[in-house]
Amino acid sequence: AIESALRPSDQSVSCRSGNRSMRVAENERRKKAEEPFVLALKYFSDVQTGTPVTGNDEFEKNLVLVERVAYSNGLSPEAISIMLEFAMSLRMGSSPCVRVLKCLLPSSVVPQEAVVRGVVWLNVGKMPITTQVLFLKWVLTVFDMIDAKDQLRAVYGFIFSFITEENLCPFVCHLLYLLTRKESVRAFRVRKLMDLQSKLGRQPFLLHLLSLYKVFSPELVALSVPSRVKSGFKNHNSPWKVALAAVQRRNGAQIASAISLALPVGDRTSSRKRKHGHLQIPVLTSVTNKQPHTEQNSRKKLIPLVQIQSFDQLLKTMHQIELPAQMGSLLGSGLALQYLDCVQEESALLRLNFWLGCALQEEFLFGSDDDAAHIPEETLQFLDKLLSAQHFLQEGFSSSDAFLYKFLNVWDGSLMRPQILGLLSNIPVIPALRKLLFEPLTQLFFTSSLFFKCGLMECLNSMLVKWLTWHSVYALEDDLDISLGSHTSVNMTLSGFKDSVMELVHFVGRLASVGLQLEGCHTLLLSFVLDFYGTVCDTFLKFGLPLVVMPPAGVFYPAFFAADPISLDRLAHIMHRYRVNLTSAKNQEKATEAFHISRQTFQEFNHYLVFMVNCLWNSRMFKPGMDVRLSEELLQKSNVPQYWTRFDLIHHPALMSYAFDFHQKCWPGRKEMDLNSIKVPEPWSWYLQYLFNQGFDGLKDFFQSNINQHSSSGSAEAC
Amino acid sequence: MERPQTRRTPLSGGVEKRMSKSRSYRLSLRSCVSSRLGLTPGWTTRRLNSKRKAPKSQNITNQVSPDHLALLVKHEWQLSYVSPLYHFRHTQLKSYARQLSAFIAAEKQQGLAVEVGIQDSFKVSFSGVQGLAVADDDPETVLIQVHTKPVFAQQDDPLKLVWSGWLTCCNGSPEYLHSLPKDFTCLPLFGSSGAQNLTSLVKSWFQKNFDCSFGPLEINHTSLEWLVALWTNCNTETNIQNLKMLWTLPVEPPLQVTYVVEGNDAWDLWSSLQQRSEGDGGEEAGWIGIEEVTAFMQGLKNHFYRHFRLELSAGNLSQVSTSLGSAKCNGKIKVSNSRYMITTLTLLTECALLKMPV
Repeated sequence: AIESALRPSDQSVSCRSGNRSMRVAENERRKKAEEPFVLALKYFSDVQTGTPVTGNDEFEKNLVLVERVAYSNGLSPEAISIMLEFAMSLRMGSSPCVRVLKCLLPSSVVPQEAVVRGVVWLNVGKMPITTQVLFLKWVLTVFDMIDAKDQLRAVYGFIFSFITEENLCPFVCHLLYLLTRKESVRAFRVRKLMDLQSKLGRQPFLLHLLSLYKVFSPELVALSVPSRVKSGFKNHNSPWKVALAAVQRRNGAQIASAISLALPVGDRTSSRKRKHGHLQIPVLTSVTNKQPHTEQNSRKKLIPLVQIQSFDQLLKTMHQIELPAQMGSLLGSGLALQYLDCVQEESALLRLNFWLGCALQEEFLFGSDDDAAHIPEETLQFLDKLLSAQHFLQEGFSSSDAFLYKFLNVWDGSLMRPQILGLLSNIPVIPALRKLLFEPLTQLFFTSSLFFKCGLMECLNSMLVKWLTWHSVYALEDDLDISLGSHTSVNMTLSGFKDSVMELVHFVGRLASVGLQLEGCHTLLLSFVLDFYGTVCDTFLKFGLPLVVMPPAGVFYPAFFAADPISLDRLAHIMHRYRVNLTSAKNQEKATEAFHISRQTFQEFNHYLVFMVNCLWNSRMFKPGMDVRLSEELLQKSNVPQYWTRFDLIHHPALMSYAFDFHQKCWPGRKEMDLNSIKVPEPWSWYLQYLFNQGFDGLKDFFQSNINQHSSSGSAEAC
Repeated sequence: MERPQTRRTPLSGGVEKRMSKSRSYRLSLRSCVSSRLGLTPGWTTRRLNSKRKAPKSQNITNQVSPDHLALLVKHEWQLSYVSPLYHFRHTQLKSYARQLSAFIAAEKQQGLAVEVGIQDSFKVSFSGVQGLAVADDDPETVLIQVHTKPVFAQQDDPLKLVWSGWLTCCNGSPEYLHSLPKDFTCLPLFGSSGAQNLTSLVKSWFQKNFDCSFGPLEINHTSLEWLVALWTNCNTETNIQNLKMLWTLPVEPPLQVTYVVEGNDAWDLWSSLQQRSEGDGGEEAGWIGIEEVTAFMQGLKNHFYRHFRLELSAGNLSQVSTSLGSAKCNGKIKVSNSRYMITTLTLLTECALLKMPV
């Protein structure tokens, strides 16, 4: 049977499916949890009056369950009814009441009946006044989610009667304010309010209600309402606000916007300072404080970026566009990003970096992580937006680089892994990387799972590709236009860049060697490592960087001895590309003498090549001077027949199944399998053809470039 | 410099040249942005100064107007750091005041069901505070005050101060200030006192108008230790009365230790350390090094250990106070004596600059 191995492109699929399976498991878990939840609700609807609370494990267990559901998904209308009824009836005393009220987070709507019943209960029991206040606060918070208001309006008078209770008065006034209609305004109510006002003083909540009454029936309210009243009722939604927002976000409800608008202002602004306030991309707005003194501005009319509607318009007005008030807002729209690509003003880029740097560091470095395991949706959205912006611009922002250098030291390697690795791959390859990047990454790499190791390999590969590509554009231009020297930055000379790339490649080589050892040469990891060397072997021809770095022994030998044919084939391909690159570098080196590939690189290459050819082709595995050395005695003792042939094209564990298959096809009648019979010249060339037809292009290229076909099959020579 | 000799001459050389030109320009600009702010290899080198001048009593009453000084001394301030302000002009303060009052009024009106008499009940004033800028590069400190008229006040009742805040830069690192382009004004330290929602309104107005960002500024352990030493050092000139420190120890349940040392005793310990270190070299006089601060703190901790067998090093210093002022680790500071204000603000400016992302 042919072993299947993961191709590099499968990686993203595999991680996505990993996520999916997690989600499926999560759903199943939730389904299972639902069953006890129904039982818990049943408990609360059936529980007898006077059941003790203290030491009641069953009650505790059920309530914890309800709370968990409430805080994660919110409660259904029926659940709200049951729990509210349970709490307000004080069946188990007033102590659980507060706890229940605090977790009454509706998932969709609040049934009106439940609220009306709650209001009625206010009058019945011996409920502590603070709990009554809490209930009213809750009603005010969820007011916009109550499914209908008609029955509540029907008990307007009943609610009004609570107004005499001093502590309840502000909240009752607020509720009445929301319920009042023209027909609710009666002379006796106005009188009552005026009475209260004379007793309590000119309280804003009374004034508000009165002013509303005056709007409906000016003739009844003789009072002159001062034109300046402290704005709004106080906002009382604090115990539920954050949790409610979270529940709604999770349920994808649109009610959220409605509720925040409907609530009077009060502390609306303070909601901005909630934890993830930093991660809001500012709205695109034009500058309010124009600079009057710049003459240039007056000469040509500037158009604020906000007014640009289409790409055509952007192109036409490119030179008249005025930057927005907040540079961060450019990340918010695709059109603005197009423009950002052309912004060359240092101040503007600096503004963007200041904003981004602050947002990132406040969120991930200095922020208190009370709930580190749970990553809010906004955070991921923000990072994804940032990533797509960087992807669009094909480079990172220096503030996100600076942030990463710090963040890597505290990162656990799993929090937001795809996003962080994505940002990481945009880090420029600069000389200082060793301390900033390699040290923390080494620690992370060796302490993390196989999956992380693969992810990091992929990330470092794409980092290398990005900067090699950048170089290939940059170098081309340097050739053409030398006067550009004034623009090129000081710390990015070609030799500096070359050294940095070399350092990066060596670093990855070290990681890969040890990583492969740690993970028992895992095929998946090996595949990512070979991806990386697929880039490295072509640096000269594909990207024009005169640098060839060979893989370390810790990468080469695991790939060669791998039991899957794909790794072997890819290694052969990589060796073939190395050969092509080295040959062409050598030719150019002779012609121009502009650069120099070290002799040692050629030696290393030849060393590997001879080994490969000896093993695969010549069946002479243990020759003196090779890296793999075993004493003759030991080999004899192992009782492996013809041990020197064990890694040739026929016996290599990765290819043996093909040899079997070939043997069967070649000699269908034969009872006894004799693989050595393939070695005879004629079947040997058929066998090669057969292998190459299986899609082993790497091996094909490798042998075609390295083996002199005209010489006899037994004694091919290495270059 | 080595240069790659690629033989591939692109056919559409002109176009490609233009394209790559802009690209490399921007890329190099990027690295300029980082290198000129000492970012790339440099961020590791940005640390709190390990040495600072011993505070001298400075009579700044001549330079700073007594009203401003009284205000600064009166309140406890909640600190934040601010990234540099873009296009901030000290000449435009009057217009800023108008804009901010309009902004606050507009925000306050939002979401009201029924408009109840729109009238801007907030009056904002911006003023430059002379005399707090010490070094030549320091931009002038800006003081912001929000007044309001009480709801049922009579016509001629005085306005009530409901919020105040300031932005300052005291002895800010010249390298950093110089590295910023001319368009930026660096006032990294922001202190506010008053209603939370006004603070966030003011912040969001600044963010919108000067493209800056705010973040909370905690006063960390080391900075608090510095304050302990700096304040104790003043005892000869101004009696600090008591040196009071609050330690939080991470045990279950959490333990808070209030450690009060008589000012003169603290000074005795401090001066004994000073004599010892001054013996080494005379040219260092007038400067305090971090080693001395650490030694002083160690002395205090040792003393405590001798009496109570409790190792304070295991915990965190979370609050310090003397008659000169008080500081808390959550970023609240009060400077009670204007004479040593500059020293404290210098330290805090340094902390704020350390928080700058680029």
